Amino acid sequence: MTLKVLVVEDDAEMRGLLRASLAAEGFAVTTAVSLSEATAILKHDPPDLVVLDLGLPDGDGAELVSTVRRQSALPIVVASARQDPIGKIALLDAGADDYLIKPFSIAELLARIRVALRHRGSALQPALKHFEGDGLRVDLEARVVERDGDPVHLTPTEFNLLARLLRGAGRIVTHRQLLADVWGTEHVEDTHYLRLYMGQLRAKLERAPSEPRFLRTEIGVGYRFAVE
Amino acid sequence: MSHRPRSQDSAAWRSAAIAAALVAVATGVGAALDHYVSSTSQAMLYLVAVVITAYACDRVTALVSAVAAVTAFNFFFVPPRYTLTVENHEHLIALAAMLGVALLVSGLSARVRAESQLAVDSERRAHQLSALATELLDATDEAAAVAAGERALRSAFERVVVVTRDAHGTLRPVDGLPPPVLQSLQCAMAEAAVIGPGTGRWPGIEAWVVPLGSRDHVIGVARIEPAPAADEIGREHATALASVLAQGLWRLRAAEAQVRAQAGLQRQELQSTFLAAVSHDLRTPLAAIVAAASSLQEQRERLTVAEQDQMLTRIAGQARFLSRITENTLQLVRLASGPFARREWQSIEEVVGSVIGRLRGQPGGERIAARVADALPLVRGDATLLAQLVTNLLDNACRYGKGPIELTASSTDDAVIVSVKDRGPGVRPEDEARLFEPFFSGEAKAPGHGAGLGLALCRAIAEAHGGSLRYARRREGGSCFTLALPLEAQPEAQPEATA
Repeated sequence: MTLKVLVVEDDAEMRGLLRASLAAEGFAVTTAVSLSEATAILKHDPPDLVVLDLGLPDGDGAELVSTVRRQSALPIVVASARQDPIGKIALLDAGADDYLIKPFSIAELLARIRVALRHRGSALQPALKHFEGDGLRVDLEARVVERDGDPVHLTPTEFNLLARLLRGAGRIVTHRQLLADVWGTEHVEDTHYLRLYMGQLRAKLERAPSEPRFLRTEIGVGYRFAVE
Repeated sequence: MSHRPRSQDSAAWRSAAIAAALVAVATGVGAALDHYVSSTSQAMLYLVAVVITAYACDRVTALVSAVAAVTAFNFFFVPPRYTLTVENHEHLIALAAMLGVALLVSGLSARVRAESQLAVDSERRAHQLSALATELLDATDEAAAVAAGERALRSAFERVVVVTRDAHGTLRPVDGLPPPVLQSLQCAMAEAAVIGPGTGRWPGIEAWVVPLGSRDHVIGVARIEPAPAADEIGREHATALASVLAQGLWRLRAAEAQVRAQAGLQRQELQSTFLAAVSHDLRTPLAAIVAAASSLQEQRERLTVAEQDQMLTRIAGQARFLSRITENTLQLVRLASGPFARREWQSIEEVVGSVIGRLRGQPGGERIAARVADALPLVRGDATLLAQLVTNLLDNACRYGKGPIELTASSTDDAVIVSVKDRGPGVRPEDEARLFEPFFSGEAKAPGHGAGLGLALCRAIAEAHGGSLRYARRREGGSCFTLALPLEAQPEAQPEATA
């Protein structure tokens, strides 16, 4: 079955380019140039994924994220020229699946779309419980972590942190989400916990902690467990 | 117009009263001493009265007083007494002498009075002039200067209007001035000469109209009343005050023009360096993109697949470079416009790691080797800015340096140190001093070219974090950039037990 992608983008050049690139990958692409058009399409011909620009002629794309999220788990990848990390965090916390800053490469966009689709309906489906690749093996149910065949001992907090990232594997998990889920909502401002524990986790799991393979930093936003 | 004659009237009455009183006193004293002295002595008493009157009062009063004194002397003391008959020629001579003395003393004292009045007046005028000059020196704007000028003129004359011509040649303030007055003002400015009573020009008007400034440089005009045609000294004083005011105004305008010219020059300089940087930093990659893209459009069939790939890689790489320049420019403007708010605990290992991860895929990225010390302390700052700093340093090394690019992160007692070293040609010694200036990009093709804003932004970010960024030439060739970020008391780690 062909997957349907809705591209919401007001710039004609960009819209044409995204349509061509995504169609070439086998997606059925519909496009919208405004918030109202996107809302109409979402209602009458719901897609499997939305690629969303933020600055639209009749409003901010961010409104669409919260509207969609209230009703469904439809994956949303935001593609915007806005740099500011605070807005990025707000969108991710509001439920956007991923965030790309223009200019981005099509390869990057396709990778993010694949990740977002894999997690489609992740709220309902059981989360990722096992991971194996590049010398790392994690079994969350058995609470086993091995690197190159050797068991790695993690403290409870380190384990919870890894588990939370692995559950959203491939996607950015914001600082706030991580702090709330691992330490509790009263600690959402204590980003230094993350710095310290991520450092410890990398030291235990990564071959080159200063150039992590799995535990990637999304500067100013959060972390991502890279599976690809 | 009326209070002066009235004061003259009252002064005349006072003089007459003084004269009468003095004659009366002389008469009284003469009568009292009648039995002891001769009439000669009594005449002397009258003489004293006349001299005092002549000294203190005007000439007419003095003469009247002389006549009155002689008459009284004649009447009361010259035999036959109580008649005005003169028995003796001697007394006629006394009368004539008394009149002569009265005239002489009165004339002398009038001259002394006039001279001392003149001295007082000229001193007052000199004082007014010097006070105005001082005030004008202190005046920082034209309104203050005009106000000072008006004050000075008002202290010398009764009614004063000062009007100036602004930069556009418009006279202000002219509201409420009747057209004939306005015409006289314009005429004085056009002729650059005083007009009004006594000047031979426009004698019919009621005021002197004095231009501020000399021919070709008339800044404004002052209208002064009253303007008696005969008051040459007053007119000269008005002219002198006006010329001091004009000089003050002129000085202010010249200073203002100079400041404007300097600001314009600076702006122009900044604009031209900015334009040069933009035209260089943006046009070079744009040219490469256009060349590669058009070549693909026109000659794709004649190019090998490898050549096509090369061109596509070039387009993507140059476009990414343009995007980075844009980002640097925006960030620099943002940093220049105020302090940044996001100061959180950051891990240098993470910052470095994410930057290297991004640069690996780019040309030169494979040459980067990172050595980050274990358990590096956290620093407080903005991760996005720190990442941009490290990106710029590594990116420069990738583009212009040669050989391995070493990134090391370590800590000392009071700082976290990040250094980026390469084996390129380094920075020319003559360029080192200006390396971190915005828009400085060295000679074309020299190292650092095209990174115009990059290093300026790096230093701005380092300084915004209370740190420093330094350049050093490596002994064996190449560059070494060293970032030092201040170490702060580390945050408490969450105890493991509560997890």
